[in-house]
Amino acid sequence: MAETSIIFSDVNERQGVFSRRVFLMGGVVAFGLFALTGRLAQLQLIEGGKYRRLSSANQFNYRLIPPPRGQILDRNGVVIAGNRPSFSVLVMRSQVKDIDETLDQIAYVLPQTLLRRRAILRDINQSRRFAPTAIATDLNWEDFAKVNLYASTIPGVDVSMDEVRVYHYGGAFSHVIGYVGKISDKDLKAENAATGDEEQLDPILLHPGFRIGKQGIEKAFDKDLRGVAGARKIEVNATGNIIAEDSDGMRPATPGEDVVLTLDAEIQQRALEVFGEDSGGAVLMNIHTGEVLCMMSAPSFDPNLFVSGISSKAYGLLRDYERLPLLDKCIGSTYAPGSTFKVATALAFLEGGINPEERVVCSGSYRYGNRSFACHKRGGHGPQTMHDAIKNSCDVYFYHMCNRAEAGPDRIAQTARALGMGHVFENFEIAGQKRGTIPDREYKRTAFKNDPKWHPGETLSVAIGQGYVTTSALQLCTYIARIANGQKAVEPYLVKKIGEVEKVPFKDFKDLPFSRAHLDIVRAGMVAVSNDVTGTAYRNSRLNLGNIEMAGKTGTAQVRSYDKVTNRRNEGIPWKLRDHGLFVAFAPADNPKYAIAVIVQHGMGGSMFAAPKAREIMKLALIKDPEMQARIIQPMPVDPNLANAPDQPLTSDAAPEPLDINPSPDAIPPQ
Amino acid sequence: MAESALTRPGQRERYQNKFAQIDWTLCLMMALIAGMGSLVLYSVGGMSWDPWAYDHLFRFGLCFVVMIGLSMINLSIWLSISYWAYGGSLLLLVAVELFGKVKMGAQRWLDIGITDIQPSEFMKLAIVLALARWYHENSAKDANWSWKLLVPIFMILIPFTLVAHQPDLGTAMLILITGVAVMVAAGLNWKAIATAAGAGIVAIPFVFTFVLHDYQAKRITTFLDPESDPSGSGYHILQSKIAMGSGGLLGKGLGLGSQSQLNFLPEKHTDFIMAAVSEELGFVGGASVFLLYGLVIFMALRIAMLSHSHFGRLAVAGAIATFAVYVLINGAMVMGLAPVVGVPMPLLSYGGSVMLTVMVGFGLIQGVRVHRYQELPRQNSIFARFE
Repeated sequence: MAETSIIFSDVNERQGVFSRRVFLMGGVVAFGLFALTGRLAQLQLIEGGKYRRLSSANQFNYRLIPPPRGQILDRNGVVIAGNRPSFSVLVMRSQVKDIDETLDQIAYVLPQTLLRRRAILRDINQSRRFAPTAIATDLNWEDFAKVNLYASTIPGVDVSMDEVRVYHYGGAFSHVIGYVGKISDKDLKAENAATGDEEQLDPILLHPGFRIGKQGIEKAFDKDLRGVAGARKIEVNATGNIIAEDSDGMRPATPGEDVVLTLDAEIQQRALEVFGEDSGGAVLMNIHTGEVLCMMSAPSFDPNLFVSGISSKAYGLLRDYERLPLLDKCIGSTYAPGSTFKVATALAFLEGGINPEERVVCSGSYRYGNRSFACHKRGGHGPQTMHDAIKNSCDVYFYHMCNRAEAGPDRIAQTARALGMGHVFENFEIAGQKRGTIPDREYKRTAFKNDPKWHPGETLSVAIGQGYVTTSALQLCTYIARIANGQKAVEPYLVKKIGEVEKVPFKDFKDLPFSRAHLDIVRAGMVAVSNDVTGTAYRNSRLNLGNIEMAGKTGTAQVRSYDKVTNRRNEGIPWKLRDHGLFVAFAPADNPKYAIAVIVQHGMGGSMFAAPKAREIMKLALIKDPEMQARIIQPMPVDPNLANAPDQPLTSDAAPEPLDINPSPDAIPPQ
Repeated sequence: MAESALTRPGQRERYQNKFAQIDWTLCLMMALIAGMGSLVLYSVGGMSWDPWAYDHLFRFGLCFVVMIGLSMINLSIWLSISYWAYGGSLLLLVAVELFGKVKMGAQRWLDIGITDIQPSEFMKLAIVLALARWYHENSAKDANWSWKLLVPIFMILIPFTLVAHQPDLGTAMLILITGVAVMVAAGLNWKAIATAAGAGIVAIPFVFTFVLHDYQAKRITTFLDPESDPSGSGYHILQSKIAMGSGGLLGKGLGLGSQSQLNFLPEKHTDFIMAAVSEELGFVGGASVFLLYGLVIFMALRIAMLSHSHFGRLAVAGAIATFAVYVLINGAMVMGLAPVVGVPMPLLSYGGSVMLTVMVGFGLIQGVRVHRYQELPRQNSIFARFE
């Protein structure tokens, strides 16, 4: 029922309330709009700078260009570690919306990525937000061209042409040079610790094409080899597609410095070759300068496997092989030097005042206390002077002399240390040196809490390089270099030159505290080892290089205790239990230049198995040395008839035909 | 006022007189906003009238004619159709619930043969008309504590629930806020408002866990911390803030906004058009747009105050409240002050249906202005016999 109801009070009341409420609404809206305008002012006027930066960061993108890594060259400029071009496909996770779709699109061009899909996804998920992840590496040119054409249409996908490390000599240098690999979390932590904070971390470290040195020279000189990353500035849109490249923003990468080593690639290769299947290490150095020409550990591994990331299966095989290919047997492992140590012992005796002409009768064994110590020759060597004892490697002579007042463990240790054993070389470039042990009374006191007293019976073992004595191949080589040098305590080094900067070799070697006459006696003993028909290495250390001769010392270091072993022969027992074979030498015997030490792990005998290897390596070093060449290549004996014949006089009618300096094209014979 | 001199019967009903009563200043302000929209659409369309700028102007022109036409309709007709309009919209919403088409994960559309319609758009206006009629016919006291309070509450909550279930949280919130605005304007007492606000706050955690879809909840959480996920859900807000912030005082210039032009800015022609305006025209441009919106809203509120009928007042208040809520929510959203809900900037954003809804609302507002002297009878409501 319609009714015109004019109840004024109600009407007025409604209108009044409405007006108040409308004012209120107006107030709320006004407040809201003022707040929005204020917010707009805050964003645009106060924080404008920040958002302008973010805006240009959106618009422009810096793509890093990894620098070519410096090369590693041998002493003659032969490239040992170089770079080769490598094409790879990268994915920037931050610019990809749907990773599965993106990978599907890539798989369309590169079907091989389908097989690795799970591994790729794992890599992408583990990568840092703004670091690109490589999903396919080492593409051939055809695939690369296909992806390159296609990549600009797939958001977040980029192709890169990097250089990757290549080790031209494969395993020959693996241990000295080491290898490069992708940066690990541990490496990153170390980098963080070095630079202070993560902000300053060079972003190139996270680039998938970038590798850092993990071992050896690559690690020790990583900073020099790295170089400085370049960058290109590109304009991208929201989906990450490249709109334009800003050539003004291009900054080329600076290549790393080249490192020139003292090593010789040919000698190094020869060393790997002569070792064959055997396990061990060989070090050859210049006795005057300390330059290491060869430092090779066998068996080796291919460092190229590590560059793009070795599979865990392959790594497992390397790691678990009993001949330990991953171990650097020149510096990273120490062995009992065996009889090679006797040169040091003999020198200690001489320095102590023992008369070298004094004879000791070797009956094949030596009784000390209630124990019998056997000589390696069952029947005995008969009466031995020091010279004979070195030549024959007579154990009984050293047993007999070592506990005299003039000798003793402390004197032997002191001599050995002065010759370079029992400590690491501070100036040697690569990490991983083992100290080894040169025992004396002090050592026994600190290392053996339960039995701190030195027993004279232990001196017997030490005198023949057994017992507690352990040395590395590098120490043995240095020891022989010092014996051969005679005056200076040379120290080994590996790096000649970094970039254009010649590394000044360490010249201020300390003087050796040995008398010249004493050194001559032990050297003569070593000469006899190799050149006397009765010497222990006569058969296996003849160089056959003119009048150049080698002076050496064999060593056979036992691995197992012989006490309860009746059969001392090494054939037919497990490899792990066989004796180590060692050989140390210098050459030429008359005017030494090079020293060598060869350790053949479980190689049974120094004479039979180590000496031939040392001979081959030394031979190559001598042949390659121009000074030695002059001695090796003797002038042909001159035929007296020819020598006395008068010179053929040049007559004018027999003048030689003038040379046609500009031959006509017809005159050139067809190829 | 000069218009009040028209006292002869029927004179106000002449169309030329009605035409003169239209608030042309308000029309000018609206045209300025739409023109500004067209300018920016021209820019983000790659300095081209295609695909958006021309369409936008054309639609505004078409809807403007519709608005003028609607403004000629007598208020008594609006009043009489209000419940029918509400009832019809509600039926359509139920139909959507039952037979609606699913697009982009939401069931919002109804296929009527020629085209798809979105009944929730009708409801925005219908709720205003229905509530305005309810409070027109009931006394101010009824707006306070009484059983009659339940009727408008259900009038709001039923469409709110249906639309929220589609799910279309933006439109549902808009219906809720508009309805509440009409109730508040009608004189709902403060105790009731405070109680409702308290209940709302208590309900938030419940709504968050049980009612909201995952993507809706995520929008709200990323709104609270947009930088946590730059290319996920927070991407929109962050890119919008970068666009606006990098504009500075005077902007990068038309066609030169890198954020808008290189597609960093999502939905730059619809929901995020304010970010494009601010990037290219700077603080000056952005603040001018807000100023224009302020003027439009205050002119409409003034029209509400001038109306002689309570229905007219409430209808204008409700219609302009919808408009104001659009502006405030969109503005807050693009500047990272509110979660990303699909609410466009009225008149500025590209989009046909929202343009039509807004212009029909302005048709009602202009109609109230034209018929402001009209007294409407307070018919006995269906509940009158209980009084």
